[in-house]
Amino acid sequence: MVGSRLNQTAASIDSGNAPLRFAMIGNPNCGKTSLFNCLTGARAKVANYPGVTVERRSGMISGLANNAELLDLPGTYSLFVTSPDEQVARDFILGNIQGEARPDLLIAVVDATNLRLGLRLVMELRSLNRPLILALNQMDAARKRGITIDTAGLSQDMGIPVIETVAVNSQGVDALKHELDQYTHHQAGDTQRLTLSDRQESVEAIYDKIESLVRAHVTQPANMPRWQDRLDQVVMHPVLGLMVLFSILLVVFQAVFAWATPIADSMDAGFGVLGGLLTQILPAGILREFLVNGIIAGVGGVIVFLPQIILLFLFILLLEDSGYLTRAAFLLDRPMRGLGLSGRSFIPLLSSFACAVPGVMATRTISDPRERFITIMVAPLMTCSARLPVYALIISAFIPRQTVAGIFNLQGLTLFGLYFAGVVSAALVAWVMRRRQTREEFPLLLELPSYRWPMAYHVYIGLRERVWIFMRRVGTIILSLSIILWFLATYPGAPAEATRPAIEYSFAGMLGSWMEPLFAPLGFNWQMCIALIPAMGAREVAVSALATVYAVAGGELALGSALHSSWSLPVAFAYLAWFVYAPQCISTIAVVKRETNSLKSTALFTVYLFGLAYLAAWVTYQISALLIH
Amino acid sequence: MNSAVFPDARHAASARLDQCRKGATLRVIGLLPQSLFGSNDEQVGLRLKELGFLPGAQLKVIGFGLFGGDPMAVQINGTKFALRRAEAAKICVEEVTVTGGR
Repeated sequence: MVGSRLNQTAASIDSGNAPLRFAMIGNPNCGKTSLFNCLTGARAKVANYPGVTVERRSGMISGLANNAELLDLPGTYSLFVTSPDEQVARDFILGNIQGEARPDLLIAVVDATNLRLGLRLVMELRSLNRPLILALNQMDAARKRGITIDTAGLSQDMGIPVIETVAVNSQGVDALKHELDQYTHHQAGDTQRLTLSDRQESVEAIYDKIESLVRAHVTQPANMPRWQDRLDQVVMHPVLGLMVLFSILLVVFQAVFAWATPIADSMDAGFGVLGGLLTQILPAGILREFLVNGIIAGVGGVIVFLPQIILLFLFILLLEDSGYLTRAAFLLDRPMRGLGLSGRSFIPLLSSFACAVPGVMATRTISDPRERFITIMVAPLMTCSARLPVYALIISAFIPRQTVAGIFNLQGLTLFGLYFAGVVSAALVAWVMRRRQTREEFPLLLELPSYRWPMAYHVYIGLRERVWIFMRRVGTIILSLSIILWFLATYPGAPAEATRPAIEYSFAGMLGSWMEPLFAPLGFNWQMCIALIPAMGAREVAVSALATVYAVAGGELALGSALHSSWSLPVAFAYLAWFVYAPQCISTIAVVKRETNSLKSTALFTVYLFGLAYLAAWVTYQISALLIH
Repeated sequence: MNSAVFPDARHAASARLDQCRKGATLRVIGLLPQSLFGSNDEQVGLRLKELGFLPGAQLKVIGFGLFGGDPMAVQINGTKFALRRAEAAKICVEEVTVTGGR
């Protein structure tokens, strides 16, 4: 049975110069994304599917005779879906996504070390009668395990081309490209939708076929490499495993703060020198003011945090690619279940440490709607990398650089404490939201992929993508907010008979003094209030905003000492507490709106987080003021 | 549709996967209904089958989580999966090799 909505006009327009569209589909963890990176090289583009916020990674394949676009679909085990991201893969293949034409060709990626599971999906795809190529990925790992596959025989029996690939090695990738070059034309009538009725074959029948394919063409030893199992005995051990997990997390946070500091400091000094140089060269006046206090103080103040952000993403990528993250999810499933979450929520929540936006989007892998809702609600409590600049600034200004217990530095511990506060609060909020109603349970069913060495190239591409996104933010949102803020802080100038600093007469000063009464119970002064406004665009702008309102152009150190002299310790703590909770950053609120598709949930999200921020800052201020005086 | 704990009485040694110990090598006999999953139960069963939990498949219990031994990890067809007790209780198994005791 074929869908009825034919759209011939679109098809005929498409058949001209429009690039061919290839889509990659495969199980989670089959190495699909590494292969995607090898095929598209540097040209991957990350966007959203129209109407749905699942990252749509696409890129042009280099070195083909025809222009061809490659899409990386979310990992899926089956076309009979159980989670929202599997739904996207299915809808895409069937042509059910508005504004996305169906792909001309499917590249099914199968992990050669995990053949049966991958082939099962391929059998389903084959029944769609669409052009299909099978890429046997991770062939190097398979050979190392003594697995041999007769690809020619497999190809003949399955009736589709089978290419061996190794994502690190260009040979297999070239063979795949050569095969792709055979497809030069769009399929006729390509815009019609496919319909997938009920399963035509039982799971048992499909596995019987796979069994006979494997028996005929594959020889494989019974056992996994022993080091994998030995490693799992430690890593997944109920007690040792948790110790390993916490050690890893501690090292990550220690590294982010301690190792990145020298690089950040030298960048910071560089911006200080640049500011000083401009001050000398340019004549005094509005242009010099603008460049030194507006641009360099604003943008430079944020760029210096790039090393920390890179390190954090590097660790997340390494942990993910090595296969470790799902082990962590396994260990944490039971404790998280008490909070209405599960091991599956662990990965979105960990991504939220880098940024809540991809974290909220990653909740699509969660099948249980209630659990998904709670995960979205608490994701922003994970300290995202945009908060790092604010924390780092205040910590380095107020917390002495001291060694505690021989190995830890006090600043690193304070940072860990802030992250910890976020996690504990998330646990409490989830626990409150859990609401034990009688409802159906959802299964965990989580694959624990084989360990593998992270691929340098893949990590590099992933890291570069994140750096690029950050730099784009610096160049757009942060730059423009810095300019606006500089303007607000500079105009109107102080009257001639002014006795107080010029900024108090500016628009920013007025704005700040309007906000001040509201925030006075938290100890915030008007400068701090002003910094909260642009921080709604991007949290890290709070740093450059403070630099601007305090008119400091000498970099982070200078700003730190300015803060140190004008804030008391309780105020600094209260400001940190505010940033642990506040749902700053419009993009997070926007993504929550899109993902929950509910105004009520979004309002709840915004109000509860602001309420919590206010409360936490107030309590912190009052208690630490009591303790200190 | 809930009383049949062991669907196949001929397998005297049959048990539910969640009752098995670490290190046991087992063979799947069949899937049982699980009331905890409510109306999703059939879908959960299908997904388990798709992942390879089919009659005849061999699996090995490789570990348990800290709290209440939940979830558990098993290896089947060379792939490792984490299952909660609720899912594991759907899977009816028999022991393949007896390595001392039991």
